Amino acid sequence: MAEFLFEALGISKSFPGVMALQDVSLQMREASIHALLGENGAGKSTLIKIITGIHRPDAGELRLAGTPIELTSPRDAMAKRIGVVHQERNLIPRFSVGENIYLEQLAGRPLKPLRYPELYRQSRKWLDLLDLDVDPATPVSRLSVAKMQLVEIAKALALDSRVLLLDEPTASLTPHETVTLFKVLKRLRDDGVSMLFVSHKLEEVGELCDQVTVLRDGRNAAHSQPLQGLGRQDLVQLMIGRKEQIADWPARNFAAATPALALKGVSTILGHRDIDLTVKRGEILGLYGLVGAGRTELAKCIIGQFAVTEGSVEIQGKAVKIASVADAIHRHGIGYVSEDRKAEGLILMHSVLANAGITVWRNLGRHGLPLTDGRIRSRIEPFVRRLEVRTPSLAQLVGNLSGGNQQKISVAKWLAAGVKVLIVDEPSVGIDIKTKAYLHELLRELSDTGTAVLVITSDMPEMITLADRIAVMNDYRIEGTITNTRDYEEMSSRIMSLIHRVEAA
Amino acid sequence: MQFLSRYGRTDWFGPLLVTILAAIIVGSLSPSFLSAFNIQVLLLAVAINALVAYSQMIIIAIGEMNLSVGAIGGLAAISFAGMMQVWHMPILPAALLGILIGLLGGIINGVIISLTGISAFVITLASLSIYKGVNLGITEAQPFYGIPNLVKHLGNAPFLGPLPWLIIPTAIVGFGLWLMLTRLPIGRCILAVGGNRHAAELSGISIRLTVIVAHALSGAIAALAGILLCARLQIGQPTIGDDWLILSFAAPVIGGAVLTGGHVSVGATTLGVVIVAIITEALVLFNIDPFLVQVVLGVLILWAVGINRLREFRLKPLRRA
Repeated sequence: MAEFLFEALGISKSFPGVMALQDVSLQMREASIHALLGENGAGKSTLIKIITGIHRPDAGELRLAGTPIELTSPRDAMAKRIGVVHQERNLIPRFSVGENIYLEQLAGRPLKPLRYPELYRQSRKWLDLLDLDVDPATPVSRLSVAKMQLVEIAKALALDSRVLLLDEPTASLTPHETVTLFKVLKRLRDDGVSMLFVSHKLEEVGELCDQVTVLRDGRNAAHSQPLQGLGRQDLVQLMIGRKEQIADWPARNFAAATPALALKGVSTILGHRDIDLTVKRGEILGLYGLVGAGRTELAKCIIGQFAVTEGSVEIQGKAVKIASVADAIHRHGIGYVSEDRKAEGLILMHSVLANAGITVWRNLGRHGLPLTDGRIRSRIEPFVRRLEVRTPSLAQLVGNLSGGNQQKISVAKWLAAGVKVLIVDEPSVGIDIKTKAYLHELLRELSDTGTAVLVITSDMPEMITLADRIAVMNDYRIEGTITNTRDYEEMSSRIMSLIHRVEAA
Repeated sequence: MQFLSRYGRTDWFGPLLVTILAAIIVGSLSPSFLSAFNIQVLLLAVAINALVAYSQMIIIAIGEMNLSVGAIGGLAAISFAGMMQVWHMPILPAALLGILIGLLGGIINGVIISLTGISAFVITLASLSIYKGVNLGITEAQPFYGIPNLVKHLGNAPFLGPLPWLIIPTAIVGFGLWLMLTRLPIGRCILAVGGNRHAAELSGISIRLTVIVAHALSGAIAALAGILLCARLQIGQPTIGDDWLILSFAAPVIGGAVLTGGHVSVGATTLGVVIVAIITEALVLFNIDPFLVQVVLGVLILWAVGINRLREFRLKPLRRA
């Protein structure tokens, strides 16, 4: 028996323009839980995709119980009993819970008739294991995000995996569900399963894991070392290459400032209830919550993409009706930087000029004047320069720029539009640590000039760095608003207790 | 009310209601509508149009579209007629070869789409032109007249009461598709690929193979429709299939199919075909200008899409249960 059940040795992988992984190694023991840590963009997901046969490495070797293996497709990995819970949603919405759990097995026998009662009976076992009380015949689309996540875990368990990869399985779970999951994972470990656990929540990692591998900028910052003896600060230092720092910005006082955006008793068609929220001029309000709490959805209601059904929305103190996104931008001066930069924020196949200029076309073309490149350029160039976007020219396609520069352009286009309220959703997803710090300063400067900023983020340090006040959202309601003291321990425990309070009740 | 909201969520309830209402209204205005002969004519149209609709439905299920349904049907129809007239081939082998041609046409579509990753719209637009061109090259736009009497008979005569022979193959195909889409893994894979292609791939489903299978089925069913229409018209018309496109989308959509894929219903699609047939028939009975059929069909599609959209909204709040 080899010492390690699964090994990835000297893995390198590059995508056009990016070196995603460089000589990365990882060795997983039988009957243990191995933490994989790293910042967004450090290469964790790429490594997981290589281990599960979605991507093939440019260099390096995968070994299962000491024997080199080649994986060319997800099926290959499954056949070798390597299971995975991916970070992104991996379910067929209209299919039942039971069928989703057994989808992998079904795909292998295309002509064998399905027997649903049997299928549901078998899936019951995995649902019980996870303490998940849903009927296996329920369509997945009717479940909450947290339950969907648990179904995905059941799906991986049903494969009877020897090696199980879990990419942020707790991101949308409540503390109670997390505890149940951990019990299951520990039981699996005792049964001999080797698990790789990816999480941003270092407390969880400390509680659950045995070994740790840390990636930083696509390289090993730590390679399969025992977790024992490593504290939170040690792990952070490995992840970001320095100690965790909450910028020591002075607190600002907004007692006298006028509200730029206020929601009063707002309910929305997406299911928000009694939302009270005020962002004052020049203030940064953080909106914190777990995945699925309804934050992005609230932002989309504010910008008029979905309807507000009750309550009032006030802009600069005046009650308004925002009928459409165009209305929000051009009449009320609200901009929204999407968390999904590539799908919702930018048009990757268009140039920097076209992307940054998209919000000013309407204004420039107002009197029937032609939209010449020169006129657009003169409007957006100051902002592109101010944000220090690194691009060879404004004609460069946005798709060819780095994540950080793409993010700067999604901010620049709103600055060019002259918005007074800017909603920024997960500003630092997929950008490196330096750009992130820079982006934070930028948002702070922006607020100093009087723009009201609403920041949505799941990154606790980012939240505590940026926000003047923090509103905590859970299950489409605001649980409370607290003033940020920039003391990490204090703030994180207050935020979590606001979320837990609901759990306990 | 509870009864209504429960059945209101199924795909077949709305179309069934419309079918019954339409039959009652048209039947009371024109008693000859419910005559045995008229029902037989109606069923003949339904038998062929249902196949046309199924052929598109299976592609809608994977979230794509097949513009070449009519071209494949036409090519199979003239091949079937031509092989019997020119080569004096017996009926059964000619029909099987015709279906094989359709199957091949579909496989070519599927292989090109899944190998290149180019959208099905563009690929089937091109193959529509190619298959139609081959059709015209073979026939020189002239029909084949040499259809054996047995085929002519089967294409029109009833075997029991008003039930025509033609509905037998359609019923078999319809039942087979229903079985496949609800009970066989391959059918579930087709719906999974349409429902969430990425998730299906990560679950080990071969997207490539599934897409090819769907297009192959689509081609074979379109060919069968062409062959049945050839039997019914008693002539190998090169123009067979030219006017199938709108109907092929209309019936599945009336039957609640989601055009982005992942959800289709064989039963409701069939009812969609029946509704279109009743309306067409009614317009004929009342001597209304046939151009109106097209207008009514268009209005029907808009109406159906609107209803589907409404149902989706009503389903939404349930998501957060």
